[in-house]
Amino acid sequence: MLLHYLDLSWRSFKRTPLVSMLMVLAIAIGIGVTMTSLSVYHMMSADPIPEKSSQLYAVQLQTMDEGHTWWTEDNLPMQLTYQDAVNLQNAPVPEKKVAMMRTGFSVYLDSDKVKPFTSNARMTTPNFFNMFNVSFIYGGEWSEQQEQSAAPVVVISKELNDKLFAGNNSIGQLIYLDDYSYEVVGVIADWSLNLKYYDLNNGAFNEPEELFLPFSLVKTKELTSWGNSNGWKHENINSYADRMQSEIVWIQFWAQLDNAEQKANYENYLNSYIQEQKKRGRFAREKPEYKLRDVNQWMQYNNVVSEDNKILVGLSFMFLAVCLANILGLLLAKFLRRAPEVGVRRALGASKRQVFLQHLVEVAMLGCFGGLVGIVLAQLGLWAVRQSYDYYSSIATMDITMLLSAPVIAITTCIVAGLYPAWLVCRTNPAIYLKSQ
Amino acid sequence: MLEIKPIFHALCRSKVGAILLLIQIAITTAIVSNAAFIIQDRVAFLNQETGYPEQDLFMFNVMTFGKDIDLSQQFELDEAMLRALPGVVNAAQSSSIPLSGSGSASSFNLKPAPQESKSIRSSYIFIDEHGLDTYGVKLIAGRNFTEDEVTITNSPTERTTNVTVVTQALLDELFPEGDGLGKTIYFGDLPLTIIGVADHMKSPWLKDSHPNNVALIPYIQGKTYAQFAVRTKHGQRAAVMKQIETAMLNNYNKRVINNINGLDQLKDEYVAADKLMMRMLIVLITILVLVTALGIFGLTLFNISKRTKQIGTRRALGARKSAIINYFLVENAMICCVGLLLGIIAALLLGQLLMQHFSIAALPPSYIAGTAIMVFVMSLLAVFGPAKRAANISPSIATRTI
Amino acid sequence: MLKMNNISKLYQTEMVQTHALRDFNLHVDEGEFIAVTGPSGSGKTTFLNIAGMLEPFSSGEYLLDGIDVGKLNDNQRADCRNQKIGFIFQGFNLIPDLNLYENIEVPLRYRGIKASERKRRIEQCLEQVGLASRAKHLPQQLSGGQQQRVAIARALAGEPRFLLADEPTGNLDSLMARQVMELLEQINRDGATIIMVTHDPELARRAPRNIQVVDGQLADFTLYQGAQNLKNVAGA
Repeated sequence: MLLHYLDLSWRSFKRTPLVSMLMVLAIAIGIGVTMTSLSVYHMMSADPIPEKSSQLYAVQLQTMDEGHTWWTEDNLPMQLTYQDAVNLQNAPVPEKKVAMMRTGFSVYLDSDKVKPFTSNARMTTPNFFNMFNVSFIYGGEWSEQQEQSAAPVVVISKELNDKLFAGNNSIGQLIYLDDYSYEVVGVIADWSLNLKYYDLNNGAFNEPEELFLPFSLVKTKELTSWGNSNGWKHENINSYADRMQSEIVWIQFWAQLDNAEQKANYENYLNSYIQEQKKRGRFAREKPEYKLRDVNQWMQYNNVVSEDNKILVGLSFMFLAVCLANILGLLLAKFLRRAPEVGVRRALGASKRQVFLQHLVEVAMLGCFGGLVGIVLAQLGLWAVRQSYDYYSSIATMDITMLLSAPVIAITTCIVAGLYPAWLVCRTNPAIYLKSQ
Repeated sequence: MLEIKPIFHALCRSKVGAILLLIQIAITTAIVSNAAFIIQDRVAFLNQETGYPEQDLFMFNVMTFGKDIDLSQQFELDEAMLRALPGVVNAAQSSSIPLSGSGSASSFNLKPAPQESKSIRSSYIFIDEHGLDTYGVKLIAGRNFTEDEVTITNSPTERTTNVTVVTQALLDELFPEGDGLGKTIYFGDLPLTIIGVADHMKSPWLKDSHPNNVALIPYIQGKTYAQFAVRTKHGQRAAVMKQIETAMLNNYNKRVINNINGLDQLKDEYVAADKLMMRMLIVLITILVLVTALGIFGLTLFNISKRTKQIGTRRALGARKSAIINYFLVENAMICCVGLLLGIIAALLLGQLLMQHFSIAALPPSYIAGTAIMVFVMSLLAVFGPAKRAANISPSIATRTI
Repeated sequence: MLKMNNISKLYQTEMVQTHALRDFNLHVDEGEFIAVTGPSGSGKTTFLNIAGMLEPFSSGEYLLDGIDVGKLNDNQRADCRNQKIGFIFQGFNLIPDLNLYENIEVPLRYRGIKASERKRRIEQCLEQVGLASRAKHLPQQLSGGQQQRVAIARALAGEPRFLLADEPTGNLDSLMARQVMELLEQINRDGATIIMVTHDPELARRAPRNIQVVDGQLADFTLYQGAQNLKNVAGA
């Protein structure tokens, strides 16, 4: 029966090609516009690490004195001070945690083959790779002992390995970062990360860093942050040591908490940590304040999906509603003109339900065509977005979910639009049309 | 001769088509008026006067890894070399780059910290006496720094700087009475006397809460990561940019020169998201208006084909062609007016919603009015073609049996 | 009153030329009631369309009330139809979205008559066709005969000198057809000139003057009438 309906639908499509094409075009434009903004929205808000996004928590501490405000919705600073980061890193719980910050080096080899260039680097503890599911092509992360001793070791990205060592196993090789030599201990696999969720300070859609080094080097090499450093009170900072003891926040900190119990434990620990620091004159607030946010909460908190994009998605759906009204009008025109034919069908014994279904199938077919053309238009739209804004190149794309939802949305929209016309036409009284013909 | 009443009655008796049109017109009005307002807002943002000759300025980064030189002295040599390059007007090491989205800001106070006093946020740039000329910004009052007033050091603790040149905006905010020139403000606990006032210039962040506040402080610190600004003669920027890496490396080669970008390019990068939003909205409303026009066009054609006999009869009964055209124009105008009325309400609601949830100002009524007029004209244009076709229906249709 | 001299109507398609009317001559005097008969495809409707200025003719001369129709432009023809001619169609051609009152009002509005005068005339006409109580009804709520009476009322409302009726009873049963015919005869007695196209010989016989169109030409109606008379004699 379905095949028969499809056949009828196709004939009907061919009988009024202009109106049919117009309808397909209307749906396609609506879907194209909607899918363009929805795809960007989807990629922006997609969980970057679904397998453990609810186990990874960004840690925030309220270090500011009573009465000071931050620009976040809950007045908590986004990052930690160096001293808090080190203290939490040395804490007994949890098992896996990572303190880190972004910096950069000039990179060169002990040869003239590669011109010196600068690269972004992440100073971090070895748990980073395990916590954020980073895998290695060669070697692995540095040891806990190397971390403790601020050993000159480095993990490099595949891209950098290709550039410096032509993609060969470079474990044990030396590279120069600012005038010091570092031994390569690992090369990570391509990390197709759309969203740099572990550090959202300087743009969520930037590429991950190409160098990863022990966090303990921050102190020994007196490295400055290439990310944000923010203070909230006046401090006389005359040396790097002053900076490390200051209340300036510039370190990101993540903890892996596998279950509710671990989370509760850690919250207890943070409470007691703040109480203990209070005795030393810090955390001058009546109530200890801290916050653990998992990956998705963290992204929401950081407004990763831009306001503009939310507005665009909203407007696009209103646009789709206009297209829907448009299609509804055209469907009414098309179906009602066919009423005499339906009269004959009804006289020949077609039930109301059959007539209704036949028309819905026809509408769904239009929706399907519209959805497919819509995908093409959306791809065009996304291409234009990428052309217009380089920074969005990783997120202005359609993943498989979006590719599949396009026809689903199109067909649903069309069926919604087609319900009334189909109902109207199936109510056709066969007698009227038979007589006057 | 307008037949408003019978047209209205006729419309009431075939509602669905009219309602569909009405919905389209209402939503279109709501979207277009709000989107047009956002577009206008972005256009104003993108076209604002920055105070810089953006086409003649470029910037680059210097990342020094060699440890065998006195950095700040090296930068003095570099500056001298840059200033001597053919085509260069002036050049200076600059601790932050305007319009780039990356720089430093602090609060500037009327009393030294930690005393409580009036405190104004402002961006600041550590730069020498060539700074103003390099950025092509005029001094409008007071004087510029002298060479002797510039602190050149490798140590972060040296605190001999005691003067500053600030923008008019910052001065007015600190001293609303207009007597700021010559007064002292505090950068932390460091006193700085305001010796000069700079003309309008934008901070590193166009979206800052105080985008017009800039303080120039004569202080040059030799850091491994430094930025330089260069102004060239008009039209010679590209040529100078091409040779900059070689020239800098010839001076000293244990360093990386990169991010050589025009100021306009930096600004473009900073505002790219806004440009994108603007473009997407323009595309959106253009297609939307086209789709709505097409909808009106299609529905009118359908109505006409449904009413061929009726039109023929009217012609037979003595309707002139113009009466038929008028009929469809009036009919459409009536639907359009109701649609616009709903559209105006919807536009206001949508504007409210956007204002509540996003950082968008209240929608000015002029945008709604403008959109309503535009939609009205558009709908009449969309109807005119089909209506003219309807007028050409032969009256002899009336005597045909089917 | 109505004079057609050598009127021809040529339909031209790519392949063939068809003469719908050929050298058609007709004179109608004021107050006549003429029935036009003829086999289908003979050019009856074309004749009616040309007489009603619904269609242009290819050659010849057509004078209506002394006006040379061939020299009128489209707007003048529309005004002329509006003022001088009342139409009654086989399919009634009432406008389905308008109620009876509004339907009758249509030609009056095109003439630019004031609202109060329109009201007087419409009510009078509705009275005349016996549908005064149904002014607010929509056409689809009426029977075929009632609809045709509304159509006649619409034709009368403009107080035309001519009534052109195209198979006015074609879609009606015999009882209703008789009622409509009686109404037309009454209107004729009141002074209007009526030209009625019909294929029903019985109806045609009730008209004082019969003409027949065959192959786009006026057949010899006297002969036809003679034959009718003979038949009548034979029948009696």
